Amino acid sequence: MIYDIRHITRFDYGSAVRFARCNLRLKPIFWSGQRLEEYRLSISPSGRTAPARAEAGLANVVRLVIEEPVRHLVIESASRMVVDRLVPVPSPADPSLAQIAAAARASRDPSPAGPAAYLFPSPLIPLDRAIADWCAPDLDPDRPCLEAAIALARRIQREFEFDGSATFVDTPPHEAFAKRRGVCQDFAQIMITGLRAAGLPAAYASGYIRTLPPPGQPRLVGADATHAWVLLWCGEVLGWIGVDPTNGIWMASDHIVMAIGRDYAEIAPIDGIVLGAGAQKMDVSVDVAPLAGALA
Amino acid sequence: MATRAALPLLDATAHAARWIADYCAREHAGDVLCAQAHDPAWTAMFEELVAVAGDDLAHARERVQRHAEDIGTGFRVAGDSEERPWPVSPVPLLIGAPEWAGIAAGVRQRADLLETILADLYGEARLVARGLIPAALVAGSPYFLRPMAGLLPPGGFHLRFLAVDLGRGPTGEWRVLGDQLRAPAGAGYALENRLAVSRAMGGLQSRLNVERHAPFFAAFRDGLAAACRRVEPRIGLLTPGRYDPSYAEQAHLARYLGLLLVEGADLAVREDRLYVRTIGGLKRVDALWRRTDPRMLDPLAFDTHSRIGVPGLVDAMAAHEVVVANAPGVGVLESRAFGAFLPQLATRLLGEDLKLPNIATWWCGGPKEAAHVLDELDSLLIAPAFGSPPLGLPDGRPTLGAELTSEQRGALAADMARRPQDYVGQEIVRLSTMPAVDVQEGGGRALVARPFTLRVFAARDPDGGWRVLPGGFARIGEQADARASVMGEGNWSADVIVHGPSPVAPVSLLPPSDSIHVRRNPGTLPSRVADNFFWLGRYLERGEALLAAIRVMLGNSIEADAGAALAPATVGRLVGLVTGAGAGPHPASLKRADLVQLARTAMEAEDPQWSSVRAINALARGIGQGSRDRLSADMVRLLDAPVPSRGGLLDRAGSLQRRYAALSGLSAEHMGRTAAWRFHDLGRRVERAIAIARQVRAFGMAQASADDLSTLLELANSQISYRQRYLTGIARVPVVDLVALDPNNPRSLAFQIAAVCEHLRALPVLGDDGMDEPQQAQAAKLVAAISTATAGALDEEALDTVERRLFRLSELVAWRYFLHGADPLRATGLTLA
Repeated sequence: MIYDIRHITRFDYGSAVRFARCNLRLKPIFWSGQRLEEYRLSISPSGRTAPARAEAGLANVVRLVIEEPVRHLVIESASRMVVDRLVPVPSPADPSLAQIAAAARASRDPSPAGPAAYLFPSPLIPLDRAIADWCAPDLDPDRPCLEAAIALARRIQREFEFDGSATFVDTPPHEAFAKRRGVCQDFAQIMITGLRAAGLPAAYASGYIRTLPPPGQPRLVGADATHAWVLLWCGEVLGWIGVDPTNGIWMASDHIVMAIGRDYAEIAPIDGIVLGAGAQKMDVSVDVAPLAGALA
Repeated sequence: MATRAALPLLDATAHAARWIADYCAREHAGDVLCAQAHDPAWTAMFEELVAVAGDDLAHARERVQRHAEDIGTGFRVAGDSEERPWPVSPVPLLIGAPEWAGIAAGVRQRADLLETILADLYGEARLVARGLIPAALVAGSPYFLRPMAGLLPPGGFHLRFLAVDLGRGPTGEWRVLGDQLRAPAGAGYALENRLAVSRAMGGLQSRLNVERHAPFFAAFRDGLAAACRRVEPRIGLLTPGRYDPSYAEQAHLARYLGLLLVEGADLAVREDRLYVRTIGGLKRVDALWRRTDPRMLDPLAFDTHSRIGVPGLVDAMAAHEVVVANAPGVGVLESRAFGAFLPQLATRLLGEDLKLPNIATWWCGGPKEAAHVLDELDSLLIAPAFGSPPLGLPDGRPTLGAELTSEQRGALAADMARRPQDYVGQEIVRLSTMPAVDVQEGGGRALVARPFTLRVFAARDPDGGWRVLPGGFARIGEQADARASVMGEGNWSADVIVHGPSPVAPVSLLPPSDSIHVRRNPGTLPSRVADNFFWLGRYLERGEALLAAIRVMLGNSIEADAGAALAPATVGRLVGLVTGAGAGPHPASLKRADLVQLARTAMEAEDPQWSSVRAINALARGIGQGSRDRLSADMVRLLDAPVPSRGGLLDRAGSLQRRYAALSGLSAEHMGRTAAWRFHDLGRRVERAIAIARQVRAFGMAQASADDLSTLLELANSQISYRQRYLTGIARVPVVDLVALDPNNPRSLAFQIAAVCEHLRALPVLGDDGMDEPQQAQAAKLVAAISTATAGALDEEALDTVERRLFRLSELVAWRYFLHGADPLRATGLTLA
């Protein structure tokens, strides 16, 4: 599958901001099953950009510096992505959860692609006993890892209600859990909490998902947004496997990974410091269009 | 007081011997003193104590504590946090030079080992790749900062200043309880304790050949300077600010070491270089000793929520433009779990055993270790392996295995089965005791044995080697229970004295005099400090003016029977002056009771609705607290003193007014004529000029009565000047001329404005084109307006204009010299589906 992705973020400031330094993590990373064919980042009004230093998570980071007063800022990220990922098939021969937990604890890979960092609670996804207990029935230590992962994702999808007005970007997992509703970030955070509580290495993935149009209707341009889901490290052989608790499905060719981290703070598409007074308004539009002809 | 009178007759030697004998007679196996009861050093120390206090130990304790408080006054924050966290005990801990040499060598070895490990973890990461330590041991620490990976710290070292906590076992062996690497606190208290003890017991220094502290701090400062690129570097101490619990210590150390005390908002990174915002523009900063949490250091690199950080600081480090001590990320080695690996790492990396053994630790991330800990649960302390509290311990805190209930054991075992990596087991350390002064059984103060731990400090010198502070900071437990885990943080501190056989040459922190350029206008004034001093001046003057109005109003109503009453119209205008300043509500009438009520509100209201004298005082005090490193102790004391509560309202007002006069005298006569003083005086002059303009408008206009005019003279403190000059009586034009326009009357409007103009001429300007900056131009306009005005023509409109211009001037000063408190907006760019 080939996608053309346009991700436009527009900031309007109540009064001119004099100074801005931002981290942009918009360029999709290199990851198994996907290849970036073309990429273009455009910023208006133009500021200085430079590649940034090492980061906490797995992301392509660009530092944006603006020193002229601006009232509006538009950041447009355009990618052409080839995605070819198989749908994982659970098997009784898969390593058990206990085995992958032990392998992760003993891992010698200190890099952000290794499992070790994802074993532990992180600032936005702390340990939580209630979530741990709720997830535990799916996470028996002897259960094969793929089977357990999809079972938990599907239970979250079944038992939680999608509700864009129930939570905010900074709602902690325990609040969304108590309400049993929320959006992709809430579901991903709840699932990660449960996996980590069981001693498993679980990461937060951000990126895009193709919105499948209902039959007979045109695809809604611009209605999409950035998406979040979960990666579980399933041992040296299987590596990282993606599951999407929002939709109760595997990460396959409908998912495009932009960045991976312990939690949202490490991979926020845009964050940083803007100095100014007054309010800021932000509009985001994301368009993930399968390339014409590639659909067939 | 019989004992005090008998003091000269007291035989110090016999008395000290009796104290020691009595103390050791009460069974103290494993006590430092009893193990060395015949060491003449202890006897000498107790003899000095007798010389101070006679046989009254409570008195000795008070004496030393009072010295400590005196030393710290300039840095303490008033109110609840006034107490030192660890009051100082009068009995220092004595350690002989040979024993100390062993401790110091062990600390130096440990510091080298930690640096080697850090260089690897943030460098090639070979220790992990080779399996010497698991990746999870590193990643598990919340203080592991991956963005620092691959960054070789400028100057070459991650660690420049660290502290190691030691415990002494009952048989005299020392072992390491923990490392303080992120922002080690306590060195300032060690300095204060030493000063307090040597002030109280002056003879100790020479009798015991006490090793001094100053060379250590000098070596640290020189070491930082040597790591910088510039020859005469500017070094800052980065504080989280005055609400931080150890702000007082930080201010003390900054002053002692001659560092610029800065907060994140004072600093800016431009083109990968670090600058401090000063009144003379941006000035380079070459090095920072940071006392802030490393994760808060740079919102772009670590936590974007940080409001106290410096955006881009890590980039400046990466560009080798600023030395930061210690480098962010060193805290990864503080986790208890790391202790389990240090003995092997010492062997592998240094080829030698740890000279100071580590407290025995088992990290449950390994299957064998986890099994061992569960087997030996009853004889171990179970603790969180890293920073965050695990789910399987009661409240997530370190707990003695033996004290767990069977239910708690079940919960622990269950969570350890899931997340063993969150736990360590540690041997239970027994501490030896030292003498402290406390209530003994049956009452009365006596020497009692208390467990203690020792915090030792090490710093890099200019050659990159480690220097160890001789002595340090002992913390003494409150209970007699000697288990380290029970002692916690400790309740008391004691000076630690390293004594030797040969005399120690006096050294002070002062460098040789020929190595320093003479400077008459010291240092760099950060914009934040200038802002503080300007507003300190404005608030003090505002409080003084309000108090004067209250006193005149009150005095003339209370003494009504004595015939000093003013015409009701004049009283009404006074009331208008007070209520116009927002100090209280308009009274129901001008009757005495209502005026007294207004005066009380205006002076003492705590309701934030009114800008009472008390409220203005609190603002001034708050500013004073943030500028302690630059204010004299006398000024701090006056600012901190509570609003008087004794006597009648007039007495209280009088006593406050005297305090204001004293503050004004101190700033006029005692503050160096630095830029800081100029801002302080500028604030005073601007505020006073505004007050005079308002007073003249209220009492000096065309219809003014004799009462009005005499009130104006009183408010402007100019009665005597007037009477000396005009014998004829009171009239509007001469009064207004004296109060507003006479440049020779130091209380006149013209005088204030001339002073403002002079200050603005003397302060630095950015351009070198000789043109006036806007604040200077505004001042010049004011001077011109006042010098061409005549008293007869001075009307309300003219005074309004003057007042407006003064406000504008204040804004221009702020715009030019101060930080502009624009709120950072955080950019977050995700909507979620």
